[in-house]
Formats: sequence, structure tokens, C-alpha cells
Amino acid sequence: MKFKFIPLYLFIACASLFLTSCSDDDDQGAVVNIVTPPDTYKFQRDGANTVSHGGQTTRLKMASELYSGMKSASSTKEVLNNMFNNGEGFSDATLNGTGKKVGSKTFSSSVASSTVKPMFDSMITDFTTNVIPNWSTDAANGTAGKMTDSKRTVYINAKGHELTQLFTKGLIGGLTTDQIVNGYLTAAKLDTGTNRADNDAGTLVSGKDYTQMEHYWDEGFGYLYGEEADVENPTLGKGVLLSKYAGKVDGSNSPGIGKIIYDAFKMGRAAIVAKNYAQRDAQAKIIQMHVSKIIGYKAVDYLNDYVTKAAAGTPADAIHALSEGYGFVMSLQVTNDGTGKPYFTNAEVNAMLAKLDNFWTVKSSDCTTMAAEIKTKMSL
Amino acid sequence: MYKKLALLLFVSLLLVRCGGSDEDSSDDGEIKPVAYDRAKMLVHWADKIIIPAHTAFKQTLANLDNSTKTFVSSPNQSNLDDLRSKWLVSYKSWQHIEMFDIGKSEEIYFKSKMNVYPIDKVWLDNNIEKGTYDLENANNYSSQGFPAMDYMLYGIAESDMTIINKYTANTKYTNYLTAIVNKMVASTDVVINDWINYRGTFIGSTDNTASSSVNKLTNDFIYYYEKGLRANKVGIPAGVFSGGPLKGNVEAFYKKDVSKELLLEAMDAAIKFYNGTSFDGISSGPSLKSYLAHLNSTKEGSTLSALIASKLDSAKTQINSLSDNFVSQIESNNSKMLTTYDAIQAVVVLLKVDMLQAFNINVDYTDADGD
Repeated sequence: MKFKFIPLYLFIACASLFLTSCSDDDDQGAVVNIVTPPDTYKFQRDGANTVSHGGQTTRLKMASELYSGMKSASSTKEVLNNMFNNGEGFSDATLNGTGKKVGSKTFSSSVASSTVKPMFDSMITDFTTNVIPNWSTDAANGTAGKMTDSKRTVYINAKGHELTQLFTKGLIGGLTTDQIVNGYLTAAKLDTGTNRADNDAGTLVSGKDYTQMEHYWDEGFGYLYGEEADVENPTLGKGVLLSKYAGKVDGSNSPGIGKIIYDAFKMGRAAIVAKNYAQRDAQAKIIQMHVSKIIGYKAVDYLNDYVTKAAAGTPADAIHALSEGYGFVMSLQVTNDGTGKPYFTNAEVNAMLAKLDNFWTVKSSDCTTMAAEIKTKMSL
Repeated sequence: MYKKLALLLFVSLLLVRCGGSDEDSSDDGEIKPVAYDRAKMLVHWADKIIIPAHTAFKQTLANLDNSTKTFVSSPNQSNLDDLRSKWLVSYKSWQHIEMFDIGKSEEIYFKSKMNVYPIDKVWLDNNIEKGTYDLENANNYSSQGFPAMDYMLYGIAESDMTIINKYTANTKYTNYLTAIVNKMVASTDVVINDWINYRGTFIGSTDNTASSSVNKLTNDFIYYYEKGLRANKVGIPAGVFSGGPLKGNVEAFYKKDVSKELLLEAMDAAIKFYNGTSFDGISSGPSLKSYLAHLNSTKEGSTLSALIASKLDSAKTQINSLSDNFVSQIESNNSKMLTTYDAIQAVVVLLKVDMLQAFNINVDYTDADGD
């Protein structure tokens, strides 16, 4: 008789152990909510759209104007600084007075180094005080000016940097990637304060149709898809930042990466609706790794392009490529390998940038080695 | 006998369950052999750290008060020197209690009345001129406390002689100096006197809820580390949150060459609190660090408790590499300020995310990141 009793007792003990599980799996209790992703990134509550990322769209558009401003001879330091740091002075008037700023979101996540953002301020200063006044000077090592070859004309600083490229490609990491992979999609951000309890209870942000957690996820989404005409049918290739290069990588280096990322965004968002946070975090990890790879692919491509173009006798075209490469290398420090760590740390990136510092004396062999290192480390 | 065996097995299963993160109020207390003694930690915090730190601060403030009276009655160089040195001693002592924004401190906005900088110079000058003001009013937080004294003792004129002359020539300066020192003393008395009663409430609140002592003070500590220490003392003046450096925002802007000394003192206080070192430095007790060690939390292959301790030490080393005068540090090489900021920031993530997760405590404040 007693024999029969014991296994039952044990069974209950084991079952209860299993049910309460360990806290790493979070507080889902015994029920694992099955997540069914919708066909498109469309989420509604009682018939009302719950997806909103206007602030991201605004910043992406601001970045486009900064990109243009950083290659226009009529720009001034005051105007560019006002756009970058104050979020004012844009020709698209809808961007002004929004309170949104690109500068305050440049390498600004909790893991980004604060030493990087000032480099953008320096680029604005360098461009307006050195490059613009030398618009018709022939550039040379140590002299800002213009350089022309059969392919293009570039306006460069004393080190040969085409600053609009460094600035914009740097923002692909520092603004879009950092905000997505180290900001909005981290559990720390999504679970801020009472977010999880609120999401569980369906408590909405005051006056809105979404929970705070849903909104954070959507804001991450917005940094990639914020300029799509229809987020339910994204085409990528929009604007000047991440979307543009996600489109390129999807069309060449890694066909299908766009769908992987989009599907993970959908699935993760659906997981939030279903209150399945393990699933949410698994999708975040997919996005973190794949978005990071876009940076990696482009860094490798442009470093190699430089070598090819320099050898082909098109120095302006080569410098253009290296300027893009420099920006993507800068961006590597805010990638995320899915565990919260960048594929390359701030110190590692600084060591690479030191090798690329002066484009007049940069060694092609360094570029080739660096490209190979990135390729290996990121499994590209 | 089998029944006993089974029970034993059941209990031991419960014991190993979730090694490391079952440390919260969800345990109803029937089987808690591995529970960390939160009550003991609170007693240690109250009796060996918070109350002694406040008591020591009160003494420095009493000395500051005396020196103020002496200076006001005869403004001369030696009395000014004495008052300035008492101000610095007290300002350093303050760094040990700013983080304890709980109980009466929180209720009366103690830290806002003691250490909001930069000062509002126009407003403060106007107060001196008018001679009527309400120091309880939030508009006056940036016109009182240590930063206002910094201005009154170092900034109201170009030289020591011209500063002294201001006090000799016009009672409105002596009046305002007296008023703000009186206010500092009065606010401090309110806080300290309340701890006599509040201690019981504080140490008795051992559960894991948003309003319990451990949760609140842990949040206060992290908030202080993130805002009071990291942002106010380093990040804001170094320009981390703006288009460029704001050197006028350093702590002790008018005295200037003590910004580092104050930051180091604050960092020491934070390290001591984390480690559970008593205020007098001679003993140690239960702490955030030992709580983490008890939970066996790990991060990146090391124990989280040790990782935080070592990153705090790295941050302190970085601070030590700075110039005493942050205004000149910012002017000559601001990237060193930023590197220091990064080292301080590296701990924020560990405290705010990893440590709180291990404790199962929610962050009770939100970042105003404008989205």
C-alpha cells in the first residue's frame, strides 16, 4: 500500500517542481502561450491600430537631411549643429519642433561608448570649417579639398575622409542599429518598470491603444521600417540608413535576410500580444544577430571595394568606398551577437579606425586583413 | 519510513529548485533555508551605514554653522579660509548620504535642497538683493545648499578681498549666507530626528514589494549612482547628453579644483554601500554584494557580485586619472571625462539590469528618454 503512495507523492513533488520551474524562463507559469504570427506587421486592439513609430520616422528623415547637408557647400556649422543636436532647422518643416533629435540618440544606448558621439560633432566642425572653404582646392595629404577621377568627385578633409559618408554610415550603427539591438529589443528595455505586469494585464499607455512593451517593440521596428510606404509590405531600401543597406544585403550578400528579420519582428510582436516573453526574447536575438550582420557585410564590402578601386586607378572612387567602410567599421561597436555583446568592442573598433585614420597613407593590406577578420568573427 | 524518505526527497527537491533566483516574497516562509536574511541587511544598513553617515554629516554641518557665524560677525581672510575648509569637509561628508533618498529625506526633498547644481545665478542674486525668499519653494532649490555656498564663498567677486568686502559692506550677503546655512542645518535635523522613529519601519519592511525597504533603497542607490553620480558629476558636464560639453555644470563650479575630490568621495561611498562596509570603515556586513553572492548570480563567466565590485574599482581608477579641476579637464581633454563616464556607466547596466533581475526587484523610476 505504502509503495503505491510514494511514487504518487514523488510524482506530485516532481510535477510541482516542473511547473514552478526556474525564474530564467520567466513567469509564464505552467502555460506556454502558443504564438501565431500574423501574415504582416499589423496589430490591432478592438479594431484600432496599435503600431506607432512616428518618432523613428522623424529621425530617419532628419538623418537624410543631415546626409545632404554634410555634402553641400552651402551648409554652415550652425545649421548642421542645430539639425543634429537640437532637431531644428530642417527644410522639411514637419521635422522641426518635434522634440526629436538625432544627436541625443547617436551611440546613446547603455552599452555604447560616450566617446563616439563627439566624433560626429567634430565631423560637422571639420566639414564646415575645412572642407567647404576648400571646395575648389585640389585635395592632398594634409589638405582638404576636392578630388576627381573618371568615376566621381569627392570633397574630403585633410585626411581624405568624405565626411558625409562617415557621418551617415556611422549613424547606421550609432542611431538605427544601436537603438534597435541594444535599446528597444533588449529585455531590460522591454521589461522596464511595470511593463511586464502591465502587458500581462493589458494595461494601456494612457490615451493610447498599445501597452508600453508593445510600443517599445514597435519603436525598434520603426528604426528599420519607419520610412516604408506600407509596413505590411516592406520593400527595404528606404532612406539613407539601415533600411537602404538591409535592402542591398538582402539583394546580394545574404538573400532572404530581409525576410528573416521581418518575420522575427512579426513573431516577436505577436509573442508580446500572447504574453510569451521567452518567444519574444528568442525573436529579439534573431533580429540582433541579423541586423548586426548587415553592418558586418557592408564593412567587409567597402573595405574590399577600396582595395579594388585603389588598384584600378580611381582614387576618388576608392576614397568614397573607404569613407563608407570607415562608417560601417565605427558601427561595428554597437552590433549585438545576441548575448548583449558587440561583435567588436569599442577598443577593438578604435584600433581598426586607427589603421584607417589617414586615407592618403592607408595600407590596402590592412584593409584586406581587417575585412577578413570581420568576416570570420561574424561568420559572414 | 518511506513516507519520511519521500518527504525528505520532496524537501530537498524544493531546496535545489531554481538555485539562484527564488529569492523573493513568493516564498511564504514555510521552507526558507536558503533565503537571504533581508532583515539583517536592513539593520546593518540602518545602524552601521545610514545613521552613522547622517550623524557624521550633522557634525560637519554644525562646524560649518559655527564657522559661518564667526565669519558673518567678522568677515576677514582667516575666517573666510576657515569657513571654506568647513564647507569642503561638510560637502564631502554629504556625498555619503545623498543616495539615501528615503523616508523623511524623500519627503522633504532633502537632496534637492542640499545639492542642486548648477545654481541659478540670476535667481540667487535676486534673492540676495530682495532679502525675501521661500527656500521651501522648488524654484529656490538651485539657490541654496552646498552649490549656493560655493558661489557665496568663491564666486560673488573676483578676489578674496572683494568677496570679503561684499560681506563687510552689505548685510544682505551675510543675511543670505546665514539663511541658507540655517536651512541646511534645519533640513538635516528633520531628517536625522526622523530616523529615530523611522528606523523601526525601515528595518521591519523586509518583503519584496515596490514599497519595501530593500527594494526602495536598492532603487535609490542605483538611481543615485546613475543620475547623481554618473550623470550630474560627469556625464552632463562632459556633454554626454548635449551637443557639447557644459563645463559650467560641474560640481563646485566656483571653487573648481575640488570636483574630482567630491566625485571620488561619492564613488567611495557607493563602493562602501555596495560592499556593505560600515560607515566607519572598520567592519562589514550584509550587502548588495553578499546578497548577490548568496544567489550565485553569474555574468560572462564570473560571479556577478565580484564583477560589479571590480567594475566599480575600475571606475574609481578612471576617476583618479582625471584632473582635480573638471573645468580644465573638459577644456584640455574632454575625452578623458568621457572614458571615465563609460567606466562608471559600465556598472549601471550590471546594477540596473543584472543585479535587479537577480533580486527580482523592479526599477521604480523611468528614464526620460523622450520617446
